[in-house]
Amino acid sequence: MCGIAGIARESPTGVTANSLGRMAAAIRHRGPDGYGFYVGQKVGFAHVRLSIIDVAGGAQPLTNEDGQIVITYNGEVYNHPELRRELEERGHVFRTQTDTEVLVHGYEEWGVDVLHRLNGQFAFAIYDRARETVFVARDRFGVRPLFYAQRNGDFYFGSEIKAILACGEVDAAPDCRGLHEALTLWGSRPPRTPFSGIASLEPGTYGLWKDGALFLRQYYELDYPESSEEPADAIEQLDELMLRSVGMRMRADVPVGAYVSGGLDSSITASLAASSSPHTLRSFSITFDDPRFDESGFQREVADAVGSIHSVASIGPGTIAETFPKVLWHTETPLLRTAPVPMYHLARLTKEAGIKVVLTGEGADELFLGYDLFKEVSVRRFCQRRPNSPGRERLFDRLYPYLGQQGRGGEFWRKFFLEAGEPDDPLFSHMPRFLLSARMKEFYTPEFRNGLGGVDVIAELRASLPTRFFAWSSLNRAAYLEMTTLLSTYLLSAQGDRMAMAHGVEGRFPFLDHRLFEFAASLPTGSRLRGLREKEILRRWASRVLPPGIKRRGKQPYRAPDAPSFFASGSPDWIADQLGPDALRRVGIFSAPAVDGLLRRCRAGVATGFRENQAIVGILSTQLWHQQFIQSSHEIDPLPIANASVVLGDTVPALF
Amino acid sequence: MQTTESEIAISRMAIISRVRGFVQENFLYMMPDFVLADDDRLLEKGVVDSMGIAELISFIEAEFGVIAAEDEISEANFGSLDAIAQFVAGRLALALG
Repeated sequence: MCGIAGIARESPTGVTANSLGRMAAAIRHRGPDGYGFYVGQKVGFAHVRLSIIDVAGGAQPLTNEDGQIVITYNGEVYNHPELRRELEERGHVFRTQTDTEVLVHGYEEWGVDVLHRLNGQFAFAIYDRARETVFVARDRFGVRPLFYAQRNGDFYFGSEIKAILACGEVDAAPDCRGLHEALTLWGSRPPRTPFSGIASLEPGTYGLWKDGALFLRQYYELDYPESSEEPADAIEQLDELMLRSVGMRMRADVPVGAYVSGGLDSSITASLAASSSPHTLRSFSITFDDPRFDESGFQREVADAVGSIHSVASIGPGTIAETFPKVLWHTETPLLRTAPVPMYHLARLTKEAGIKVVLTGEGADELFLGYDLFKEVSVRRFCQRRPNSPGRERLFDRLYPYLGQQGRGGEFWRKFFLEAGEPDDPLFSHMPRFLLSARMKEFYTPEFRNGLGGVDVIAELRASLPTRFFAWSSLNRAAYLEMTTLLSTYLLSAQGDRMAMAHGVEGRFPFLDHRLFEFAASLPTGSRLRGLREKEILRRWASRVLPPGIKRRGKQPYRAPDAPSFFASGSPDWIADQLGPDALRRVGIFSAPAVDGLLRRCRAGVATGFRENQAIVGILSTQLWHQQFIQSSHEIDPLPIANASVVLGDTVPALF
Repeated sequence: MQTTESEIAISRMAIISRVRGFVQENFLYMMPDFVLADDDRLLEKGVVDSMGIAELISFIEAEFGVIAAEDEISEANFGSLDAIAQFVAGRLALALG
């Protein structure tokens, strides 16, 4: 795992080592083990390296034998040994043991179609000097990031937006719609970002840049060809897919660790990792001082059962407020939840333990319908078929016992779910979430609201759905929306890649193997969610592979404390500063009287609902985002070319 | 002492006024231009969420000295300012009568 950046010029006016050095410096946290450059007249690439495969020989940028194909690459292609054998049979000569070189020769052999052969998580740029093209691509599910900008015919890209801003040729300006999307949908919808004129390459998409123009094409589309019956050998298929997926993701020249949440998914990945690792597995968990969020008992059981050396990152009362500004620097987008913060600390702990790679359970809930949201869809539909049935409506109490524990007003929140979305609305599944988060706009200034010109991001999302969506069952529609509006745009990015890579830790996600996705997507939804039992087939299979001692338990959503984190006694000064009238006026997005009212309620400890919790996190994070990215300079000292592991150029012969 | 119809009517207005004040200060502070009619459904209009209802009921209980049993916490009794006034006035009348 690494960080990449680069510039492509419409005319051969040169890309300086200084610009590339600044871009690399901005994302050095992604690759602390080394860096390198390709410095050319038309194209310049930068690379910061986290050494995982071929630690000695894997420096980048890398070229083919004659130096005509140049690559800067972030990620892992897990099937690289198989592809390498195939390419060697076709006459390609390899000089390193890296998956990077497999990509170079794969591109030589198959062109952009190489993408269909890759099993992995990646973002890369390939400069084809003969064709004068830059080919950029991103993996199927959006595990690894890639952002880009175009200015005056020139093309800029980077693993993180801060790399693009650091080159000094692209200014940072807010994109009001992108911000509004982030504050409504938890993340801007790619290609849009919160930055004006800076785009996110969509998952499963590639771009070809030539002569100042970028051509984009989607090479992978999510589909749900649901079968009516579960195949007789479904468990055997799942077994083979899971073992292969984990086995491939254990490929590394450094020890691979595991995150353990205490739930089923990470218990599976940790257990399989422990049994296939040549080392004693290192495992890592988050614990909370607040018992409402803490799962340490379950985590300890998992660690004991799989025999790992277990470490915990403890999140105390002040941790979230203290770290939030740093976390925002890495997320590069406003947040509605503080949940990325503990992930930041988890990655730091992992790094301190000397582990660079971890397996996690991310993706299982999307593939096997694990989230409460999917059950909620079923219950809402069940209730709507027979309105005013108290017995049916009581299912919400089973679904959300923690809401019931609040004691009062049960009928009201049951009604909220029942009335949030018409049954024939394609966004039916997500309307409760969207209606709640859309209320962020109540805190906007009239000027910001007017500037949005009545844009309705929920209607835009509805209008953007692919035709095939309408042929899917309601649960598969919900799964697709979860994959596209939350997994790639928030869970894998703000809460995933950006938190792990802040400390140079690479997350690997066995459940996000595309063959496993395709298997799950073709199962009857009843195999995945049976009644209110989530991940049914996964549980059936897991009972065969999980060691005894891991207790079965229901789904527990991962949550972190929100509003109370910022208003305990001794909170850092930045909170009051960011919410003061001057800071609010400078940013211009949130209304001072509205924020005053919210502050009054937060300080009184009565801002306990979803609306106010998301509001305080959304407002604080947007204020910090604006201060760090829009108001501040992006000047940074370049990584010196003299210390680079690799320096290539148009006239420098290929180095291996 | 008997309570007259007009006394109950006045107290209903007073109840609505006090509840409206609480709702505006705590749930509508971010929307100063929001016009809340007496018969607007609080949930449908997005004035309160589930936590808000619990907070509102706690306020009503403390402010007017009435207690709502769990099975009384319904749209019929707490769904709008009108409904709340009717519920509270009914309880007060019962207590007075």
